[in-house]
Amino acid sequence: MGDGSSATGGNRGLTGGNSNNNTSGSSNKPQWLQQYDLIGKIGEGTYGLVFLARTKSPANRGKSIAIKKFKQSKDGDGVSPTAIREIMLLREISHENVVKLVNVHINHVDMSLYLAFDYAEHDLYEIIRHHRDKVNQNINPYTVKSLLWQLLNGLNYLHSNWIIHRDLKPSNILVMGEGEEQGVVKIADFGLARIYQAPLKPLSENGVVVTIWYRAPELLLGAKHYTSAVDMWAVGCIFAELLTLKPLFQGAEVKATPNPFQVDQLDKIFKVLGHPTLEKWPTLANLPHWQQDIQRIQGHKYDNHGLHGFVHLSPKSLAYDLLSKMLEYDPRKRITAAQALEHEYFRMEPLPGRNALVPSQGEKVVNYPTRPVDTTTDFEGTASLQPTQPVSSGNAVSGNMQGAHGVTGRSVPRPMLGMQRMQPQGMTAYNLTSQAGMGSGMNPGGIPMQRGVTAQAHQQQQLRRKDPGMGMSGYPPQQKPRRM
Amino acid sequence: MADFQTSTHKAKWILTHQQLVDKYKVANQNAIQTLEKYGATLMEVDADGSLSYPEPQVNAKDNADKHSRPKPLNIEEEQFMRVFYENKLQEVCNNFHFPHKIQATALIYFKRFYLLWSVMQHHPKNIMLTCIYAACKIEENHVSAEELGKGISQDHQMILNYEMIIYQSLEFDLIVYAPYRSVEGFINVMEEFCGDNDDQLLVLKNLHEAAKMEVDKIMLTDAPLIFPPGQLALAALRSSNEVHRVVDFERYSRSILSRQNSEHAISKLVESLNEIDSWVRRYKFPSEKDLKHINRKLKSCWGLSSHDESKKREKKSKHKSRKSSNETENMA
Repeated sequence: MGDGSSATGGNRGLTGGNSNNNTSGSSNKPQWLQQYDLIGKIGEGTYGLVFLARTKSPANRGKSIAIKKFKQSKDGDGVSPTAIREIMLLREISHENVVKLVNVHINHVDMSLYLAFDYAEHDLYEIIRHHRDKVNQNINPYTVKSLLWQLLNGLNYLHSNWIIHRDLKPSNILVMGEGEEQGVVKIADFGLARIYQAPLKPLSENGVVVTIWYRAPELLLGAKHYTSAVDMWAVGCIFAELLTLKPLFQGAEVKATPNPFQVDQLDKIFKVLGHPTLEKWPTLANLPHWQQDIQRIQGHKYDNHGLHGFVHLSPKSLAYDLLSKMLEYDPRKRITAAQALEHEYFRMEPLPGRNALVPSQGEKVVNYPTRPVDTTTDFEGTASLQPTQPVSSGNAVSGNMQGAHGVTGRSVPRPMLGMQRMQPQGMTAYNLTSQAGMGSGMNPGGIPMQRGVTAQAHQQQQLRRKDPGMGMSGYPPQQKPRRM
Repeated sequence: MADFQTSTHKAKWILTHQQLVDKYKVANQNAIQTLEKYGATLMEVDADGSLSYPEPQVNAKDNADKHSRPKPLNIEEEQFMRVFYENKLQEVCNNFHFPHKIQATALIYFKRFYLLWSVMQHHPKNIMLTCIYAACKIEENHVSAEELGKGISQDHQMILNYEMIIYQSLEFDLIVYAPYRSVEGFINVMEEFCGDNDDQLLVLKNLHEAAKMEVDKIMLTDAPLIFPPGQLALAALRSSNEVHRVVDFERYSRSILSRQNSEHAISKLVESLNEIDSWVRRYKFPSEKDLKHINRKLKSCWGLSSHDESKKREKKSKHKSRKSSNETENMA
């Protein structure tokens, strides 16, 4: 795929990179890492960590890169399936509104994978939060429409390639910062994405998907087979959130069991959209939780308050018409990405544009904050409060990072809320030279120590997951506005 | 991803016959060079998935006279070895009752891996098992390495050690298109083509089954490295149809071509199908005698000719310095 290793070019470079030799001692870093200056950590999630780095190669000097590090999967499971799946999907796709993989690196010390993407300064989570908490003003209509259009454009590409994203939420929708691609939307984080033509098992066996606030009703009711329509439901939720700066269906998640059946979430949906009926949604009767939980779900009576009231739109507006078609209960009637792109809403002024952040004329430009960077964390995901001794510790990154950027190891990390996303990507040609390395050259102290470090980081992540603030929502609980 | 047209499979892994020949030649040459340099060819894979060269064998290096040095496999013998283990691969998948798709994916991984390496460098048994493991992971039919190892009484750690090397060698191009789904598609078209009375449907079902078996055969040849899955599927259908006589195949092919608005002229297509058929006809499974002979040679190439020696190697390898897989790549 455009990386120059065509069939004829052969397999050159696939095991590329090298840890040069184990005797040089001049540098402790594996070669693939030497291409980058590490700036710091910008995100983390269940999969691992995301770092901001800059390339050093003369051609792209200073170019910002987001490096997503997957932690090793549990013992005996080999290479992380999430990482492998994300890589294999990203290798096959290419679209302006989808992140693109720039490079894959292998860290042999702990068998972890590092994916390099072009860096995106913003995401919808931060943009919405900025408007809600700092600007106290809605996002301007041009920006909302442009963001939505580009999101649909990327999603239409994915769906026509038989990929369901399955985890769309504001923090996974990235927006490029200053530069040639400013204001361009990039759909990111394909760790849960699936190809849906002829899966060998029903898709529901892949575990619970989608952050609950953006989870489609058929998933909440336990559908065994579901379709790309689940992504469109999530887009509807995101659209509403762009308009109101608040999550539309803010259910409280029952985390005890990994169960897709979330009563509170259904409750929130029914309160806004009214009760689903068999007339409107004939296959409803076949959904497991609908049948099993007749009393709790079907027993409640909900008045239809009207979605338009919640999103402050006139029921006659085109925006409302599109939104209500995205939030259609029956997945078979729900609007598709392709149909949504043709919706009249996008043909009316203001017309959507490529730079979603900068309206063409008149309106004032909002300056969104840059992403907070935790400069105290190294590539191993461990805080390095003391500059580490490269040789003895085998810690490849911290020394370089501090040297190159004058970042003191003692700087206080800024709070990072809702950091669980990965960064994107761009127009760079594929350069998938996966770089082996880190052999003994990096770690003269021996592998066991490194493993210990990794295990520790791993543990920390597990702990963090239990913290509600770091949970799926990303919103601190106390900020939940209750409207009903 | 349904789109083969924009896939890495199409862009990078459909070779011309000459490219295939060249790759096998290069892989063979690399192994021979390693043999000359180190006296053995088998790469060692460590628990962290890095590769290292064989330990130079003292007698091989010092009295490097041609008689004492192990004889390398030639390209045909390598081919036999791959054929043998590809059959094993199908066997293992059948024993586990894995779906066809997994078997096909594992086979394609195995074939692609040995475009880069010689069986002299990586034991095909290890590669075969790891390819199955990887295919299960990719096709969302996850089986733990332990379970897989147990099922065939093999050490599963070896599978985990090799996993990353496989992904690297495949350049992380892990989505592959097997012909089974194409066969299904063509059968669907035939249903429309034939009309849908019940007799016809039964006949078509038989044809479908026969074609799947035919694909199984094609998958054991090198044809999947040269032809796109749609053509492999059509070739399988055509030869099954010669037995079952369900449709006028030429008329059917023409209707398909007009449907797909393909630039392939019918004669071009027929030429490809004939070539695929000839790959199946030329397919040769090694005789017992061949296998014995090749195995003996292989063992000495691997540096495992005597039990004692292999033990010594194991011990040594703990102390020796590791080299990166990149350096191996430069050799490869």
